[in-house]
Amino acid sequence: MAVLRPYLYTGGVHKHGLLIELLEDLGGYIIQKIVTGTEVNLIMLIPEKDIQVVKKLSDELLGIMVEAPLTGVELAVVSPTLASHHLPHSACDVAEYLRHPGANTNMIGLARGMGRRVSLSTDYERKLINEHDIAVFTFGSFSDCIINKKPKLFEGIEIPIVVTGGPDLKTEDVPGADLYVGNIGRTSHRLRKTEEISALDKLNEGIGKIADNIRKQQARDPLAVIPARVMKEIENQVPEIQTVLSPAPLTLQLNGLRVKLPYDEFHERLERLEFDEGVTLSELANILRSKMKNYILIKIKSKSDIGFAI
Amino acid sequence: MDSLEIFAVESAIVSEQEFYRKIIEDNLASLKLAPAIGRIKVVLRPEDSLFQMAIILRDVGTKVTTIDIADVDAKPVAGEIIILIKKEQYIPELLGKLWERYGKANISQPDRWTVAISTDRAEEEAAFLKDMMVADPRHRLHENLVDFAIRVTPEGFRVRYHLYKGNRFIFVASEEALKREWVEEAETMLEELMKGGKT
Repeated sequence: MAVLRPYLYTGGVHKHGLLIELLEDLGGYIIQKIVTGTEVNLIMLIPEKDIQVVKKLSDELLGIMVEAPLTGVELAVVSPTLASHHLPHSACDVAEYLRHPGANTNMIGLARGMGRRVSLSTDYERKLINEHDIAVFTFGSFSDCIINKKPKLFEGIEIPIVVTGGPDLKTEDVPGADLYVGNIGRTSHRLRKTEEISALDKLNEGIGKIADNIRKQQARDPLAVIPARVMKEIENQVPEIQTVLSPAPLTLQLNGLRVKLPYDEFHERLERLEFDEGVTLSELANILRSKMKNYILIKIKSKSDIGFAI
Repeated sequence: MDSLEIFAVESAIVSEQEFYRKIIEDNLASLKLAPAIGRIKVVLRPEDSLFQMAIILRDVGTKVTTIDIADVDAKPVAGEIIILIKKEQYIPELLGKLWERYGKANISQPDRWTVAISTDRAEEEAAFLKDMMVADPRHRLHENLVDFAIRVTPEGFRVRYHLYKGNRFIFVASEEALKREWVEEAETMLEELMKGGKT
């Protein structure tokens, strides 16, 4: 199977259709298309050997094409609560910055995550966080809290955990965390100073590495079908997805995707979704009710589970 | 007393002290409180889940009446009062009071600097309006101060004590039941602030 590389194209709306057509001919995928005024952002997966061809066309159209390592990753940015102490700065700044390399981020405010002794998470919240690929917890400025008190929020989280906070700690100091990034503590101003931006860059880089590790693990036992292909088939066979107004109606994850359609009405149609090889989606994946609203969550089984891959 | 002539933040770890100083600065700026505060001291003890703050306020302006911010002209023949605004910053308060008294239908704003009220008793009403209190900076200050205290305190510290008397303000917050000595410590901080600084 061809290796696909994630790229982000930014350019004018004029003639960008040519790029989409080229990508279809090459066997790549458009993950997301965002049109703002006269500008268009395309997040796409390009077959590795054809990157130069796409780049040439992008240059002709005077667009910019950059690698987007977090494409197809859905992140949960978890803030202790949704109070003005944590939002919009710094939790929103973190979520926004993570979108630059192509990630889809959801912000989750816990109901009772604030404080030291009293902080809690509920079963529902943990399940919701576990639906994502990676969880990013945004904590405050006290090292005592981050080291001793807050890690109890990690209990029951099965996905990799990234922690941001003010003090400069080592990852090993924070029990249960897979990565700790300092200098992004509680602030009441927008993160725009050099050291803050470089901390955000460090965060993006660290999360990119974690995502790469997950991809490497997956390469040993590949998924039965790549999520981008399921996405394309849903677009072709379930036209109602075009009418969904939510941002990213089909959100890719590393091992599945989230479909922003009501579960009860659509889950059977998704189960019957057909591929050219003659298999249906229900053979390749578990189709579940998402904890997020009433959406559908598709988790693709691995090759070793079902014995074949398409 | 100059504004912010004492601005002290104390915590066991120096870097955390700096983070908190920045949070306090940002919140002072966004609530426009800096000119009103003379001296402020904040002590943080995360290991005890404790936040203490003592503030001494500077003298703030007196009550604002309509005549301070606008010219009021009665037009008895036309049956209206024309208010020509001089200071724009108090317009929301002024309009709020006028709407309450005359109803929105009787008030129009032909342009940014003019408010017209239609009334049968133009002369009497104009005399009343001239001395009407539009805004009380002290009241606004109190609101902002409480808002400020809640914004800078760590969110989990929901057990709070506050005292606002004259130009002194004490705020103590914690996650646990407040101890008497914590409040007393804050009172001592306030006394130190009273002594220190330029007079």
